[in-house]
Amino acid sequence: MRVLSTIKFTVLRMVRNYIVLLLLLVVPILLITFFSYILSGVTTETGVPLRDENAMQMVLVFQLFGGSIVMYMIYNDLFTENKMRIYSLPFNQTMYAFSIMLCGAVYSILLGVILMVYAQLVLGVVWGNWVWTIYIISLMAILSIIVCLIFTFSVKKYKIAERLSEVYGVGFVLLAGFFFPMPENAFFDFFGTYGNPLTLSIGAVHEMDQSNLGEAWFQANILLGAIIILFMVMLILGRRRMG
Amino acid sequence: MTIASMQGVVKRYSSDIALDYVDLDIQEGEIIGLLGPNGAGKTTLIQTLTGMTPFERGKVELFGQSKNPFSIQNKERMGLVTQEITVFEELTARENLHFFAGVYGLKGEEKKRRVEEALEFVGLGDKGAKMPTKFSGGMKRRLNIACALTHQPRFLIMDEPTVGIDPQSRNYILETVKKLRENGTTILYTTHYMEEVQAIATRVVIMDQGQIIKEGTVEELIKTVQHEEKMKIDVTDADSVPINDLEKIAGVKKVVLSGSQITIISAVGSGNLDRILTLVKEYTGVLGIQADKPNLEDVFLTLTGKQLRDKGEE
Repeated sequence: MRVLSTIKFTVLRMVRNYIVLLLLLVVPILLITFFSYILSGVTTETGVPLRDENAMQMVLVFQLFGGSIVMYMIYNDLFTENKMRIYSLPFNQTMYAFSIMLCGAVYSILLGVILMVYAQLVLGVVWGNWVWTIYIISLMAILSIIVCLIFTFSVKKYKIAERLSEVYGVGFVLLAGFFFPMPENAFFDFFGTYGNPLTLSIGAVHEMDQSNLGEAWFQANILLGAIIILFMVMLILGRRRMG
Repeated sequence: MTIASMQGVVKRYSSDIALDYVDLDIQEGEIIGLLGPNGAGKTTLIQTLTGMTPFERGKVELFGQSKNPFSIQNKERMGLVTQEITVFEELTARENLHFFAGVYGLKGEEKKRRVEEALEFVGLGDKGAKMPTKFSGGMKRRLNIACALTHQPRFLIMDEPTVGIDPQSRNYILETVKKLRENGTTILYTTHYMEEVQAIATRVVIMDQGQIIKEGTVEELIKTVQHEEKMKIDVTDADSVPINDLEKIAGVKKVVLSGSQITIISAVGSGNLDRILTLVKEYTGVLGIQADKPNLEDVFLTLTGKQLRDKGEE
Protein backbone atom coordinates (compact mmCIF):
# COMPACT_ATOMS: atom_id res chain seq x y z
CA MET A 1 0.00 0.00 0.00
CA ARG A 2 2.36 2.67 -1.28
CA VAL A 3 -0.54 5.13 -1.22
CA LEU A 4 -0.37 5.20 2.60
CA SER A 5 2.97 6.98 2.38
CA THR A 6 1.30 9.87 0.53
CA ILE A 7 -1.36 10.59 3.19
CA LYS A 8 0.92 12.70 5.38
CA PHE A 9 1.73 14.90 2.39
CA THR A 10 -1.89 15.13 1.27
CA VAL A 11 -2.82 16.40 4.74
CA LEU A 12 0.07 18.89 4.68
CA ARG A 13 -1.06 20.18 1.29
CA MET A 14 -4.61 20.63 2.59
CA VAL A 15 -3.54 22.41 5.75
CA ARG A 16 -1.29 24.75 3.75
CA ASN A 17 -4.07 25.74 1.38
CA TYR A 18 -4.72 28.98 3.22
CA ILE A 19 -7.63 30.10 1.03
CA VAL A 20 -9.58 26.98 2.00
CA LEU A 21 -8.71 27.54 5.66
CA LEU A 22 -9.88 31.12 5.35
CA LEU A 23 -13.18 30.13 3.73
CA LEU A 24 -13.96 27.07 5.83
CA LEU A 25 -12.62 28.15 9.20
CA VAL A 26 -11.92 31.86 9.53
CA VAL A 27 -15.06 33.13 7.75
CA PRO A 28 -17.46 30.85 9.72
CA ILE A 29 -15.74 31.79 12.99
CA LEU A 30 -16.24 35.46 12.17
CA LEU A 31 -19.87 34.93 11.15
CA ILE A 32 -20.72 32.77 14.18
CA THR A 33 -19.11 35.34 16.49
CA PHE A 34 -20.84 38.27 14.77
CA PHE A 35 -24.28 36.67 14.88
CA SER A 36 -23.84 35.39 18.44
CA TYR A 37 -23.43 38.99 19.61
CA ILE A 38 -26.40 40.19 17.57
CA LEU A 39 -28.62 37.32 18.72
CA SER A 40 -27.44 37.34 22.31
CA GLY A 41 -30.40 36.86 24.67
CA VAL A 42 -32.91 36.08 21.90
CA THR A 43 -34.64 32.69 22.05
CA THR A 44 -36.76 30.63 19.69
CA GLU A 45 -40.41 29.70 20.35
CA THR A 46 -39.19 26.52 22.07
CA GLY A 47 -36.85 28.49 24.31
CA VAL A 48 -33.61 27.54 22.56
CA PRO A 49 -31.19 30.49 22.34
CA LEU A 50 -31.12 31.74 18.72
CA ARG A 51 -27.35 32.05 19.08
CA ASP A 52 -27.08 28.23 19.45
CA GLU A 53 -29.45 27.67 16.55
CA ASN A 54 -27.45 30.03 14.36
CA ALA A 55 -24.08 28.44 15.29
CA MET A 56 -25.36 24.97 14.38
CA GLN A 57 -26.73 26.21 11.07
CA MET A 58 -23.45 27.97 10.23
CA VAL A 59 -21.38 24.86 10.93
CA LEU A 60 -23.62 22.81 8.65
CA VAL A 61 -23.84 25.49 5.93
CA PHE A 62 -20.05 25.57 5.55
CA GLN A 63 -19.94 21.79 5.23
CA LEU A 64 -21.72 22.28 1.89
CA PHE A 65 -18.48 23.82 0.61
CA GLY A 66 -16.11 21.31 2.24
CA GLY A 67 -15.63 19.33 -0.96
CA SER A 68 -13.80 22.15 -2.70
CA ILE A 69 -10.35 21.15 -1.41
CA VAL A 70 -10.73 17.53 -2.56
CA MET A 71 -12.06 18.71 -5.89
CA TYR A 72 -9.04 21.00 -6.35
CA MET A 73 -6.50 18.35 -5.38
CA ILE A 74 -7.94 15.56 -7.49
CA TYR A 75 -8.20 17.88 -10.47
CA ASN A 76 -4.67 19.20 -9.91
CA ASP A 77 -3.06 15.78 -9.50
CA LEU A 78 -5.01 13.68 -11.96
CA PHE A 79 -6.28 16.00 -14.68
CA THR A 80 -3.59 18.63 -15.23
CA GLU A 81 0.04 18.37 -16.36
CA ASN A 82 0.73 16.51 -13.07
CA LYS A 83 -1.23 13.58 -14.44
CA MET A 84 1.75 12.32 -16.43
CA ARG A 85 4.00 12.11 -13.38
CA ILE A 86 1.31 10.64 -11.11
CA TYR A 87 0.49 7.95 -13.69
CA SER A 88 4.16 7.04 -14.07
CA LEU A 89 4.42 6.24 -10.34
CA PRO A 90 4.30 2.63 -9.12
CA PHE A 91 1.02 2.84 -7.23
CA ASN A 92 -2.70 2.53 -7.85
CA GLN A 93 -4.00 5.91 -9.01
CA THR A 94 -7.61 5.11 -8.05
CA MET A 95 -6.49 4.33 -4.50
CA TYR A 96 -4.58 7.60 -4.50
CA ALA A 97 -7.77 9.47 -5.47
CA PHE A 98 -9.65 7.69 -2.67
CA SER A 99 -6.93 8.60 -0.19
CA ILE A 100 -7.35 12.28 -1.13
CA MET A 101 -11.12 11.91 -0.66
CA LEU A 102 -10.65 10.33 2.74
CA CYS A 103 -8.18 12.97 3.89
CA GLY A 104 -10.53 15.68 2.61
CA ALA A 105 -13.48 14.24 4.51
CA VAL A 106 -11.50 13.98 7.76
CA TYR A 107 -10.15 17.51 7.25
CA SER A 108 -13.61 18.94 6.61
CA ILE A 109 -15.07 17.15 9.65
CA LEU A 110 -12.16 18.37 11.76
CA LEU A 111 -12.83 21.96 10.71
CA GLY A 112 -16.49 21.47 11.68
CA VAL A 113 -15.47 20.12 15.09
CA ILE A 114 -13.07 23.06 15.59
CA LEU A 115 -16.01 25.39 14.92
CA MET A 116 -18.12 23.48 17.46
CA VAL A 117 -15.38 23.65 20.09
CA TYR A 118 -14.85 27.37 19.43
CA ALA A 119 -18.58 28.09 19.65
CA GLN A 120 -18.88 26.23 22.94
CA LEU A 121 -15.71 27.42 24.67
CA VAL A 122 -15.66 31.02 23.47
CA LEU A 123 -19.30 31.87 22.86
CA GLY A 124 -20.97 29.47 25.27
CA VAL A 125 -23.05 27.71 22.61
CA VAL A 126 -24.58 24.52 23.96
CA TRP A 127 -24.41 21.57 21.58
CA GLY A 128 -26.89 18.89 22.45
CA ASN A 129 -25.55 15.55 21.34
CA TRP A 130 -21.92 16.00 20.26
CA VAL A 131 -21.52 12.57 18.71
CA TRP A 132 -24.71 12.91 16.70
CA THR A 133 -23.80 16.41 15.48
CA ILE A 134 -20.35 15.18 14.41
CA TYR A 135 -22.02 12.26 12.59
CA ILE A 136 -24.27 14.69 10.71
CA ILE A 137 -21.28 16.94 9.94
CA SER A 138 -19.50 13.85 8.57
CA LEU A 139 -22.43 13.00 6.30
CA MET A 140 -22.53 16.56 5.01
CA ALA A 141 -18.76 16.61 4.42
CA ILE A 142 -18.81 13.31 2.50
CA LEU A 143 -21.84 14.38 0.47
CA SER A 144 -20.16 17.65 -0.48
CA ILE A 145 -17.00 15.83 -1.60
CA ILE A 146 -18.96 13.37 -3.72
CA VAL A 147 -21.06 16.11 -5.34
CA CYS A 148 -17.96 18.20 -6.09
CA LEU A 149 -16.23 15.19 -7.65
CA ILE A 150 -19.28 14.40 -9.77
CA PHE A 151 -19.04 17.95 -11.14
CA THR A 152 -15.28 17.54 -11.71
CA PHE A 153 -15.74 14.26 -13.57
CA SER A 154 -18.72 15.31 -15.64
CA VAL A 155 -17.63 18.63 -17.12
CA LYS A 156 -14.50 19.23 -19.16
CA LYS A 157 -13.68 22.69 -17.84
CA TYR A 158 -12.66 22.79 -14.20
CA LYS A 159 -13.85 26.38 -13.82
CA ILE A 160 -17.37 25.24 -14.68
CA ALA A 161 -17.14 22.44 -12.12
CA GLU A 162 -16.04 24.99 -9.52
CA ARG A 163 -18.99 27.25 -10.33
CA LEU A 164 -21.37 24.27 -10.13
CA SER A 165 -20.03 23.38 -6.70
CA GLU A 166 -20.72 26.94 -5.62
CA VAL A 167 -24.23 26.68 -7.03
CA TYR A 168 -24.66 23.47 -4.97
CA GLY A 169 -23.61 25.27 -1.79
CA VAL A 170 -25.32 28.61 -2.27
CA GLY A 171 -28.33 27.02 -3.97
CA PHE A 172 -29.21 24.79 -1.03
CA VAL A 173 -28.72 27.64 1.45
CA LEU A 174 -31.12 29.66 -0.70
CA LEU A 175 -33.62 26.83 -0.99
CA ALA A 176 -33.49 26.32 2.78
CA GLY A 177 -35.00 29.80 3.02
CA PHE A 178 -32.04 31.38 4.81
CA PHE A 179 -31.99 34.46 2.59
CA PHE A 180 -35.72 34.86 1.96
CA PRO A 181 -38.77 32.60 2.44
CA MET A 182 -39.45 30.04 -0.27
CA PRO A 183 -42.93 29.92 -1.88
CA GLU A 184 -45.35 27.80 0.07
CA ASN A 185 -46.45 25.00 -2.25
CA ALA A 186 -46.24 21.22 -2.31
CA PHE A 187 -43.02 21.10 -4.34
CA PHE A 188 -41.03 23.44 -2.13
CA ASP A 189 -42.47 21.84 1.02
CA PHE A 190 -41.50 18.36 -0.12
CA PHE A 191 -38.10 19.45 -1.42
CA GLY A 192 -37.37 21.47 1.69
CA THR A 193 -38.22 18.49 3.91
CA TYR A 194 -36.66 15.59 2.03
CA GLY A 195 -34.48 16.93 -0.81
CA ASN A 196 -32.27 19.59 0.71
CA PRO A 197 -29.19 18.23 2.54
CA LEU A 198 -28.96 21.40 4.62
CA THR A 199 -32.52 21.24 5.94
CA LEU A 200 -32.18 17.47 6.42
CA SER A 201 -29.01 17.86 8.47
CA ILE A 202 -30.41 20.74 10.53
CA GLY A 203 -33.61 18.73 11.03
CA ALA A 204 -31.66 15.64 12.12
CA VAL A 205 -29.75 17.63 14.76
CA HIS A 206 -32.97 19.29 15.97
CA GLU A 207 -34.87 16.03 16.24
CA MET A 208 -32.03 14.43 18.18
CA ASP A 209 -31.96 17.44 20.54
CA GLN A 210 -35.68 16.88 21.18
CA SER A 211 -35.06 13.14 21.64
CA ASN A 212 -37.10 12.23 18.53
CA LEU A 213 -34.70 9.42 17.63
CA GLY A 214 -36.82 7.93 14.86
CA GLU A 215 -37.22 11.20 12.98
CA ALA A 216 -33.53 12.08 13.53
CA TRP A 217 -32.37 8.76 12.07
CA PHE A 218 -34.88 9.03 9.23
CA GLN A 219 -33.47 12.39 8.12
CA ALA A 220 -29.88 11.25 8.57
CA ASN A 221 -30.59 8.09 6.59
CA ILE A 222 -31.92 10.11 3.67
CA LEU A 223 -28.53 11.83 3.62
CA LEU A 224 -26.79 8.46 3.86
CA GLY A 225 -28.91 7.09 1.01
CA ALA A 226 -28.05 10.09 -1.16
CA ILE A 227 -24.36 9.52 -0.37
CA ILE A 228 -24.56 5.85 -1.43
CA ILE A 229 -26.38 6.58 -4.69
CA LEU A 230 -24.20 9.55 -5.61
CA PHE A 231 -21.05 7.61 -4.68
CA MET A 232 -21.96 5.02 -7.31
CA VAL A 233 -22.62 7.77 -9.85
CA MET A 234 -19.25 9.29 -8.96
CA LEU A 235 -17.50 5.93 -9.42
CA ILE A 236 -18.98 5.47 -12.90
CA LEU A 237 -18.12 9.01 -13.98
CA GLY A 238 -14.68 8.84 -12.37
CA ARG A 239 -13.82 5.57 -14.09
CA ARG A 240 -14.92 7.00 -17.42
CA ARG A 241 -12.89 10.17 -16.93
CA MET A 242 -9.76 8.58 -15.45
CA GLY A 243 -9.81 5.44 -17.55
CA MET B 1 20.91 -5.39 -22.61
CA THR B 2 17.87 -3.78 -24.21
CA ILE B 3 16.17 -1.57 -21.63
CA ALA B 4 13.23 -0.49 -23.78
CA SER B 5 11.99 -1.50 -27.17
CA MET B 6 9.15 -0.36 -29.41
CA GLN B 7 8.21 -2.34 -32.47
CA GLY B 8 5.79 -1.05 -35.07
CA VAL B 9 3.93 1.10 -32.55
CA VAL B 10 0.99 3.06 -33.95
CA LYS B 11 -0.97 5.70 -32.02
CA ARG B 12 -3.68 7.96 -33.39
CA TYR B 13 -5.58 10.86 -31.86
CA SER B 14 -8.83 10.64 -33.85
CA SER B 15 -7.65 11.11 -37.43
CA ASP B 16 -4.19 12.49 -36.57
CA ILE B 17 -1.39 9.98 -36.45
CA ALA B 18 0.92 10.63 -33.50
CA LEU B 19 3.12 7.54 -33.79
CA ASP B 20 3.45 6.00 -37.21
CA TYR B 21 4.91 2.47 -36.98
CA VAL B 22 7.68 3.51 -34.61
CA ASP B 23 10.60 1.12 -34.05
CA LEU B 24 13.07 2.02 -31.32
CA ASP B 25 15.56 0.08 -29.20
CA ILE B 26 17.26 1.63 -26.19
CA GLN B 27 20.32 -0.17 -24.88
CA GLU B 28 21.58 -0.06 -21.31
CA GLY B 29 23.91 2.88 -20.59
CA GLU B 30 22.85 4.96 -23.59
CA ILE B 31 21.75 8.57 -23.63
CA ILE B 32 19.29 8.73 -26.47
CA GLY B 33 18.69 12.23 -27.74
CA LEU B 34 15.18 12.28 -29.16
CA LEU B 35 15.03 15.28 -31.44
CA GLY B 36 12.05 16.76 -33.18
CA PRO B 37 10.00 19.91 -33.59
CA ASN B 38 6.85 20.61 -31.57
CA GLY B 39 4.18 18.11 -32.52
CA ALA B 40 6.64 15.53 -33.85
CA GLY B 41 5.33 12.86 -31.47
CA LYS B 42 8.05 12.94 -28.82
CA THR B 43 5.70 13.29 -25.84
CA THR B 44 3.33 10.66 -27.25
CA LEU B 45 6.29 8.31 -27.57
CA ILE B 46 7.12 8.91 -23.91
CA GLN B 47 3.51 8.44 -22.85
CA THR B 48 3.46 5.16 -24.73
CA LEU B 49 6.72 4.02 -23.15
CA THR B 50 5.44 4.82 -19.65
CA GLY B 51 2.11 3.08 -20.25
CA MET B 52 0.08 6.27 -19.93
CA THR B 53 -1.34 6.14 -23.42
CA PRO B 54 -2.65 2.95 -24.95
CA PHE B 55 -1.42 2.27 -28.47
CA GLU B 56 -3.31 0.69 -31.33
CA ARG B 57 -0.71 -1.56 -32.89
CA GLY B 58 2.77 -2.84 -32.25
CA LYS B 59 4.66 -4.00 -29.20
CA VAL B 60 6.40 -2.31 -26.28
CA GLU B 61 8.97 -4.16 -24.20
CA LEU B 62 10.52 -2.86 -21.00
CA PHE B 63 13.40 -4.58 -19.18
CA GLY B 64 12.84 -7.63 -21.35
CA GLN B 65 9.14 -7.92 -20.46
CA SER B 66 6.59 -7.68 -23.23
CA LYS B 67 3.61 -9.36 -21.53
CA ASN B 68 3.03 -6.70 -18.88
CA PRO B 69 5.65 -4.06 -19.61
CA PHE B 70 3.98 -1.41 -17.45
CA SER B 71 3.94 -3.49 -14.28
CA ILE B 72 4.55 -1.90 -10.88
CA GLN B 73 7.98 -3.59 -10.81
CA ASN B 74 8.97 -2.00 -14.11
CA LYS B 75 7.60 1.39 -13.06
CA GLU B 76 9.83 1.17 -9.99
CA ARG B 77 12.88 0.94 -12.25
CA MET B 78 11.88 3.96 -14.30
CA GLY B 79 11.89 7.67 -13.62
CA LEU B 80 10.08 10.40 -15.51
CA VAL B 81 11.05 14.05 -15.68
CA THR B 82 8.02 15.78 -17.12
CA GLN B 83 8.08 18.65 -19.58
CA GLU B 84 5.96 20.76 -17.25
CA ILE B 85 7.13 21.41 -13.71
CA THR B 86 5.13 18.86 -11.74
CA VAL B 87 6.10 19.44 -8.14
CA PHE B 88 3.66 20.14 -5.31
CA GLU B 89 3.76 23.84 -4.56
CA GLU B 90 2.31 23.37 -1.07
CA LEU B 91 5.24 21.13 -0.05
CA THR B 92 8.86 22.10 0.53
CA ALA B 93 11.53 20.78 -1.83
CA ARG B 94 12.49 18.11 0.71
CA GLU B 95 8.86 17.11 1.33
CA ASN B 96 8.31 16.78 -2.40
CA LEU B 97 11.20 14.32 -2.62
CA HIS B 98 9.94 12.42 0.43
CA PHE B 99 6.54 12.08 -1.27
CA PHE B 100 8.05 10.50 -4.38
CA ALA B 101 10.61 8.43 -2.46
CA GLY B 102 7.80 6.97 -0.34
CA VAL B 103 5.78 6.04 -3.41
CA TYR B 104 8.82 4.20 -4.75
CA GLY B 105 8.90 2.16 -1.54
CA LEU B 106 11.84 3.80 0.21
CA LYS B 107 11.61 3.93 3.99
CA GLY B 108 13.32 5.23 7.11
CA GLU B 109 16.98 6.21 7.06
CA GLU B 110 17.49 5.04 3.50
CA LYS B 111 14.71 7.36 2.33
CA LYS B 112 16.21 10.30 4.21
CA ARG B 113 19.66 9.60 2.78
CA ARG B 114 18.39 9.25 -0.80
CA VAL B 115 16.37 12.46 -0.52
CA GLU B 116 19.41 14.41 0.68
CA GLU B 117 21.55 12.83 -2.04
CA ALA B 118 19.04 13.80 -4.73
CA LEU B 119 18.88 17.37 -3.41
CA GLU B 120 22.70 17.59 -3.42
CA PHE B 121 22.86 16.02 -6.87
CA VAL B 122 20.77 18.79 -8.41
CA GLY B 123 22.47 21.52 -6.40
CA LEU B 124 19.60 22.21 -4.01
CA GLY B 125 21.25 20.77 -0.91
CA ASP B 126 20.76 23.97 1.08
CA LYS B 127 17.29 24.73 -0.29
CA GLY B 128 15.45 21.64 0.97
CA ALA B 129 13.31 23.54 3.46
CA LYS B 130 12.11 26.10 0.93
CA MET B 131 8.84 26.10 -0.95
CA PRO B 132 9.11 25.69 -4.74
CA THR B 133 7.14 28.94 -5.09
CA LYS B 134 10.27 30.75 -3.81
CA PHE B 135 12.47 29.08 -6.46
CA SER B 136 13.66 30.51 -9.76
CA GLY B 137 12.61 28.73 -12.97
CA GLY B 138 15.93 26.89 -13.14
CA MET B 139 15.74 25.72 -9.53
CA LYS B 140 12.18 24.46 -10.07
CA ARG B 141 13.43 22.52 -13.11
CA ARG B 142 16.19 20.97 -11.01
CA LEU B 143 13.71 20.01 -8.29
CA ASN B 144 11.51 18.52 -11.01
CA ILE B 145 14.47 16.34 -12.01
CA ALA B 146 15.33 15.40 -8.41
CA CYS B 147 11.78 14.09 -7.89
CA ALA B 148 12.56 11.37 -10.45
CA LEU B 149 15.95 10.46 -8.95
CA THR B 150 15.42 9.47 -5.31
CA HIS B 151 14.77 5.83 -6.23
CA GLN B 152 17.83 5.74 -8.52
CA PRO B 153 16.03 4.58 -11.67
CA ARG B 154 17.75 2.35 -14.18
CA PHE B 155 15.91 4.07 -17.00
CA LEU B 156 15.22 7.79 -16.86
CA ILE B 157 12.97 9.57 -19.33
CA MET B 158 13.45 13.31 -19.55
CA ASP B 159 10.85 15.20 -21.56
CA GLU B 160 12.29 18.58 -22.57
CA PRO B 161 13.73 19.25 -19.11
CA THR B 162 15.35 22.56 -20.04
CA VAL B 163 12.41 24.43 -21.58
CA GLY B 164 12.29 28.08 -20.58
CA ILE B 165 15.37 28.34 -18.37
CA ASP B 166 18.55 30.41 -18.40
CA PRO B 167 21.77 29.07 -20.04
CA GLN B 168 23.48 28.58 -16.66
CA SER B 169 20.72 26.32 -15.33
CA ARG B 170 20.63 24.52 -18.67
CA ASN B 171 24.34 23.73 -18.44
CA TYR B 172 23.85 22.52 -14.86
CA ILE B 173 21.10 20.16 -16.00
CA LEU B 174 23.18 18.84 -18.90
CA GLU B 175 26.08 18.15 -16.51
CA THR B 176 23.62 16.36 -14.22
CA VAL B 177 22.50 14.17 -17.11
CA LYS B 178 26.12 13.27 -17.89
CA LYS B 179 26.75 12.39 -14.23
CA LEU B 180 23.65 10.18 -14.20
CA ARG B 181 24.95 8.25 -17.18
CA GLU B 182 28.32 7.82 -15.45
CA ASN B 183 26.35 6.27 -12.56
CA GLY B 184 24.85 3.75 -14.97
CA THR B 185 21.46 5.27 -15.74
CA THR B 186 20.04 4.81 -19.22
CA ILE B 187 18.46 8.05 -20.41
CA LEU B 188 15.92 9.00 -23.05
CA TYR B 189 16.27 12.75 -23.45
CA THR B 190 13.80 14.60 -25.63
CA THR B 191 14.39 18.14 -26.73
CA HIS B 192 14.14 20.46 -29.65
CA TYR B 193 17.47 22.08 -28.78
CA MET B 194 19.97 20.54 -31.16
CA GLU B 195 22.97 21.80 -29.18
CA GLU B 196 21.83 19.87 -26.08
CA VAL B 197 21.70 16.64 -28.01
CA GLN B 198 25.13 17.32 -29.50
CA ALA B 199 26.49 17.86 -25.99
CA ILE B 200 25.16 14.76 -24.24
CA ALA B 201 23.67 12.11 -26.53
CA THR B 202 25.44 8.87 -27.35
CA ARG B 203 22.82 8.26 -30.05
CA VAL B 204 20.40 10.61 -31.74
CA VAL B 205 16.91 9.72 -32.93
CA ILE B 206 15.18 12.24 -35.16
CA MET B 207 11.38 12.29 -35.23
CA ASP B 208 8.94 14.13 -37.41
CA GLN B 209 5.22 13.67 -37.98
CA GLY B 210 5.13 10.60 -35.76
CA GLN B 211 7.93 8.80 -37.57
CA ILE B 212 11.54 8.10 -36.72
CA ILE B 213 13.23 9.42 -39.81
CA LYS B 214 16.89 8.93 -38.92
CA GLU B 215 19.04 7.63 -36.10
CA GLY B 216 22.72 7.31 -35.35
CA THR B 217 25.52 9.00 -33.45
CA VAL B 218 25.95 12.75 -33.88
CA GLU B 219 29.02 12.12 -36.09
CA GLU B 220 27.20 9.58 -38.25
CA LEU B 221 24.29 11.91 -38.83
CA ILE B 222 26.48 14.89 -39.68
CA LYS B 223 28.41 12.71 -42.16
CA THR B 224 25.20 12.21 -44.09
CA VAL B 225 25.16 15.91 -44.97
CA GLN B 226 28.90 16.40 -45.47
CA HIS B 227 28.41 16.58 -49.18
CA GLU B 228 26.19 19.56 -48.62
CA GLU B 229 26.82 23.16 -47.72
CA LYS B 230 24.59 25.66 -46.04
CA MET B 231 24.23 29.35 -46.58
CA LYS B 232 22.06 31.80 -44.75
CA ILE B 233 20.97 35.02 -46.42
CA ASP B 234 19.37 37.84 -44.43
CA VAL B 235 16.96 39.83 -46.59
CA THR B 236 15.01 43.05 -46.21
CA ASP B 237 11.68 41.75 -47.51
CA ALA B 238 11.06 38.09 -46.74
CA ASP B 239 7.68 38.03 -48.48
CA SER B 240 9.26 38.71 -51.85
CA VAL B 241 11.75 35.82 -51.72
CA PRO B 242 11.26 33.60 -54.83
CA ILE B 243 11.45 30.26 -53.02
CA ASN B 244 10.19 28.18 -55.94
CA ASP B 245 12.72 29.73 -58.32
CA LEU B 246 15.54 29.20 -55.82
CA GLU B 247 14.63 25.52 -55.49
CA LYS B 248 14.94 25.12 -59.25
CA ILE B 249 18.60 26.24 -59.30
CA ALA B 250 20.91 23.31 -60.01
CA GLY B 251 22.42 21.81 -56.85
CA VAL B 252 19.93 23.42 -54.46
CA LYS B 253 18.41 20.77 -52.20
CA LYS B 254 16.38 22.72 -49.69
CA VAL B 255 15.21 26.29 -49.22
CA VAL B 256 13.70 27.33 -45.92
CA LEU B 257 12.44 30.79 -45.03
CA SER B 258 12.47 31.63 -41.34
CA GLY B 259 11.71 35.21 -40.35
CA SER B 260 13.83 37.40 -42.59
CA GLN B 261 16.44 34.69 -43.16
CA ILE B 262 16.65 32.22 -46.04
CA THR B 263 18.54 29.00 -45.34
CA ILE B 264 19.71 27.16 -48.46
CA ILE B 265 21.20 23.69 -48.47
CA SER B 266 22.99 22.84 -51.70
CA ALA B 267 25.45 20.29 -53.00
CA VAL B 268 29.11 20.95 -52.25
CA GLY B 269 30.93 22.51 -55.23
CA SER B 270 27.82 23.28 -57.20
CA GLY B 271 29.07 26.88 -57.54
CA ASN B 272 25.61 28.31 -57.45
CA LEU B 273 26.14 31.07 -54.87
CA ASP B 274 26.33 33.71 -57.61
CA ARG B 275 23.11 32.55 -59.24
CA ILE B 276 21.30 32.38 -55.88
CA LEU B 277 22.39 35.88 -54.89
CA THR B 278 21.52 37.36 -58.27
CA LEU B 279 18.05 35.84 -58.09
CA VAL B 280 17.44 36.97 -54.51
CA LYS B 281 18.65 40.50 -55.28
CA GLU B 282 16.14 40.77 -58.13
CA TYR B 283 13.30 40.55 -55.59
CA THR B 284 14.65 41.92 -52.31
CA GLY B 285 17.62 43.61 -50.64
CA VAL B 286 20.36 41.46 -49.10
CA LEU B 287 21.56 42.41 -45.62
CA GLY B 288 24.08 39.66 -45.03
CA ILE B 289 25.35 36.24 -46.09
CA GLN B 290 26.74 33.49 -43.93
CA ALA B 291 28.16 30.08 -44.83
CA ASP B 292 28.37 27.32 -42.19
CA LYS B 293 29.65 23.79 -41.85
CA PRO B 294 26.74 21.38 -41.51
CA ASN B 295 25.56 20.46 -38.03
CA LEU B 296 22.74 18.41 -36.54
CA GLU B 297 20.25 21.18 -37.27
CA ASP B 298 21.16 20.89 -40.96
CA VAL B 299 20.62 17.15 -40.84
CA PHE B 300 17.15 17.85 -39.58
CA LEU B 301 16.59 20.57 -42.14
CA THR B 302 17.71 18.31 -44.98
CA LEU B 303 15.54 15.44 -43.79
CA THR B 304 12.36 17.36 -43.07
CA GLY B 305 12.64 20.76 -44.70
CA LYS B 306 11.83 22.30 -41.29
CA GLN B 307 13.72 24.21 -38.64
CA LEU B 308 13.92 22.39 -35.30
CA ARG B 309 12.33 25.32 -33.55
CA ASP B 310 10.72 28.56 -34.52
CA LYS B 311 12.73 31.77 -34.31
CA GLY B 312 10.60 32.86 -31.39
CA GLU B 313 11.60 29.80 -29.37
CA GLU B 314 15.32 30.52 -29.54
